[in-house]
Amino acid sequence: MTANNDSSDLEALFDSVASEYKEVPASPAPAVQPTPAHTPTDGDSDDLQALFDSVASETQSLQAQVTEVAGADADTQAVAGEAWSQQEAVFNRIGHMARALHDTLGELGYDKLLEKTVSALPDAKDRLAYVANLTEQAACRVLNATDIASPLVEEVEAGAKALGERWDRVFANQMGAEDFKRFAEETRAFLNHRLPEKTQATHAQLTEIMMAQDFQDLTGQVIKKIVALAQDLESGLMTVLLEVLPDTKRTEEVNSLMNGPVINAEGRTDVVVNQEQVDDLLDSLGF
Amino acid sequence: MAADPKMRFLVVDDFSTMRRIVRNLLKELGFTNVDEAEDGAIALQKLQAGGFEFVVTDWNMPNMDGLTLLQTIRSTPNLKHLPVLMITAEAKKENIIAAAQAGASGYIVKPFTAGTLSEKLNKIFEKMGQG
Repeated sequence: MTANNDSSDLEALFDSVASEYKEVPASPAPAVQPTPAHTPTDGDSDDLQALFDSVASETQSLQAQVTEVAGADADTQAVAGEAWSQQEAVFNRIGHMARALHDTLGELGYDKLLEKTVSALPDAKDRLAYVANLTEQAACRVLNATDIASPLVEEVEAGAKALGERWDRVFANQMGAEDFKRFAEETRAFLNHRLPEKTQATHAQLTEIMMAQDFQDLTGQVIKKIVALAQDLESGLMTVLLEVLPDTKRTEEVNSLMNGPVINAEGRTDVVVNQEQVDDLLDSLGF
Repeated sequence: MAADPKMRFLVVDDFSTMRRIVRNLLKELGFTNVDEAEDGAIALQKLQAGGFEFVVTDWNMPNMDGLTLLQTIRSTPNLKHLPVLMITAEAKKENIIAAAQAGASGYIVKPFTAGTLSEKLNKIFEKMGQG
């Protein structure tokens, strides 16, 4: 990873160096043409000419330096070095300006933040609607299942109780042989058919209740995404707020009687966490 | 005082699931005469029409919230005697105090259990018997 980053930086450096390098040997040929270029054709040409002259003179001095290989005198070298360091300073300044511009744009990324918010919020809204929808469906499925199962369990209870009472009569010797025979068959039918029928039907509703919990997986995933989005937005907006908001405003709390459930009661003294605390508070106030 | 199983309840909550749960719990406690309203405004209309003996209400609802409903009930001559039990997720101490000061008969924080509901109802019935 780092190797790639490095190589692109190196490449950029190489390119800049290479392009600089090309200019130097390319200069000697145009260096012969200053005279025709002197005729001003437009406003820019004077500036261009000046630039050209400076480059040309520099190149000439560099070339002089090259031709007088070993016997290069100290003066020529000094002039060439000075020219080069001036040029380098210009390049450096341009580089710094580009960097500063880039950084400023990054810091002023509010437009990007807003753009992200605008596109992310409807998505979050849809996702939350999806969560609300799924949880509501699940709640309905569970309540329907209990509505179906409750009477089944009640019937089983009532049937067992009725048989139990009749068995009590058997044990109290209050039942004749003929009645007992019929009763024994009814008991058998209850145990073999009516009871299993109802427990199986109840079991099916228990399975339905279990299956209704499948929303947890789906809503969990969606909620995690929204939490991440909220965190992003919060940190972004926080940065903006901290820059914009005066210090005095920062500590003001939102005061309201409709806050919904307490999500995190840790370290808070203004909320109760269970029914016991509600009762204690009301008792202490004499209600 | 044993509560009359025919006692007519009004359950006020903007979520149908919660209304259904409260209705089922009341049924388990022997109270089958239950009507529902989805906010304070609708509840008030139904209460004005008469016939209700007990109000179980949420706090945070659209149109008219539970506290306003409670205050309105207490300031309306033909309704002010009605017991009002609040079942709400609002758990700030100032909420509980505000509800008590407004004349709530009981306060239950969500999530709650069937046991809590039964206990609070009995406590209110006891007070009603005394009063």
